[in-house]
Amino acid sequence: MKRSTLHTMLVAVVICTAPLLVLAARVGQAAPDFTATASIGKAFRLSDYRGKYVVLEWHNNGCPYVGKHYRSGNMQRLQKQWTGQGVVWFTIISSAPGKQGYVTATEENEYLAKMQAAPTAALLDPTGEIGHLYDAKTSPQMVVINPQGIVIYDGAIDDRPTTDLSDIAGATNYVNLALEQAMAGKQVQTPTTRPYGCSVKYPDSTH
Amino acid sequence: MTPKRPKLEPIYPTLFEMENLEKGRPNKKMRGSDSSRRLSPALMFGVALVLRAGGAQGAETPIPHGTLELVAENQWVTPGHDFSLGLHFQLEKGWHIYWVNPGDSGEPLRVTWQLPPGLSPGVIEWPAPRRLGTSRIVDFGYENAVTLIVPMHADSSLAAQPLARLGAEIKVLICREMCIPGKTELSLALPVKSQRPAPDPRTRDLFAATRKELPRPAPQNWKFSVDDAGDSFVLAANVTPQITQAIFFPLAEAQIDNSAPQILLPLAPGFRLTLRKSDRLLKPIERLKGVLVLSGNHAYLIDVPVIKRGARRSNSGSGIQEIQYSMGGT
Repeated sequence: MKRSTLHTMLVAVVICTAPLLVLAARVGQAAPDFTATASIGKAFRLSDYRGKYVVLEWHNNGCPYVGKHYRSGNMQRLQKQWTGQGVVWFTIISSAPGKQGYVTATEENEYLAKMQAAPTAALLDPTGEIGHLYDAKTSPQMVVINPQGIVIYDGAIDDRPTTDLSDIAGATNYVNLALEQAMAGKQVQTPTTRPYGCSVKYPDSTH
Repeated sequence: MTPKRPKLEPIYPTLFEMENLEKGRPNKKMRGSDSSRRLSPALMFGVALVLRAGGAQGAETPIPHGTLELVAENQWVTPGHDFSLGLHFQLEKGWHIYWVNPGDSGEPLRVTWQLPPGLSPGVIEWPAPRRLGTSRIVDFGYENAVTLIVPMHADSSLAAQPLARLGAEIKVLICREMCIPGKTELSLALPVKSQRPAPDPRTRDLFAATRKELPRPAPQNWKFSVDDAGDSFVLAANVTPQITQAIFFPLAEAQIDNSAPQILLPLAPGFRLTLRKSDRLLKPIERLKGVLVLSGNHAYLIDVPVIKRGARRSNSGSGIQEIQYSMGGT
């Protein structure tokens, strides 16, 4: 009895401290694995896509920085271009219920249809677990993972940290650069940048 | 914190145009013809706001969840005498704008000036910001009210004229739990006179209070050092007053981990402040520049060479050699 109580306590301590010990994703290191339910109802596990390039796109449909890339059609173009070349593209929504950008599966499916978005899947992360795993700070923060499961890019979508649609033309798109350089067998020249945008609306977000 | 300012009168002619880019949100506050709606943010603050009279006079321009006003420190522009303008923000409770380095999210305001020939803007003087956010995401910015001072150069060739129009297009992001981009055009008409500059009594207190909030160079006898200690930078100083609080705001983004606690170790004399490096900092940096806010809200501008840990021990020479070492190593 005593022993099992102690055991339970130890397990509880391990469980409580474990999230603190998990290191967030870093460029050059293995991409942390996760399983998430997509808006279409299917579960996706990152490690099932070893052998392919994977793009993670943090999304919040109420964020003006995200709006810049969707209303211009820029994000959809990127999604179509890269999934057309065999890249797996996960849009990840880490907004907590009640926070800006939180959507139900149905709402997200409607949004995807309306915006003609074309990710491989939109993953629902209302607890923020995947967001924390990647230390996602903003939407649209972008992560590129190579076929060996290594993070090769983490940061902004491009070099124009504004909400102006007119800044898309002429911007240097870091996701394109990372994918193009990696696919050509080259070193990614800019492996990380400050991810611009709105803060990810985790359960404790206040700003 | 909030600078005391005289009761607002319609001082300067102001033009405005607001643009709310947020999808699906009609631009009620900014462009709506209902003036009571336009005034509501200001009235929430109990600010005496005077309506524009026939478009010729105006005080504060509405921005999302606040107001913005372009003010001048002097009553007129004097050719050959530099002067200051101020961008005075008043924000609704809980809303904020950003410092020059916004931190983890957001962006600082951008100003495009339209000035008569002979006038040119200097670099914005930013008061010390505050840390805003949670344990995971920390931004640097301002809540409530803030004035950004913009030094202006007036060439001696500037011709005297009854009213010179100084225009500014402002793009500013205003955030609370969500962010709203605002765009507005401000303008100010000032006479250009050959007479000596004279301060405007209506803005004197505002500028004086704002200048008190500006970070200043640290006293000359304070010595700072920064050690590159692998995962962190250790900022040390020999300051004589007892330091119980210290917050460092880096000027460059992606140098330190904005949300990591900054660990203060008071020493006698001085202190050490440990700043966790950003995961995005992949190359060594030569210098750490930023604003250091110490006990009592005293803000100092610092610019300190970064020395690799170990360099000190192996290199027992002067500070100059240490600097050379760190620069050679980058």
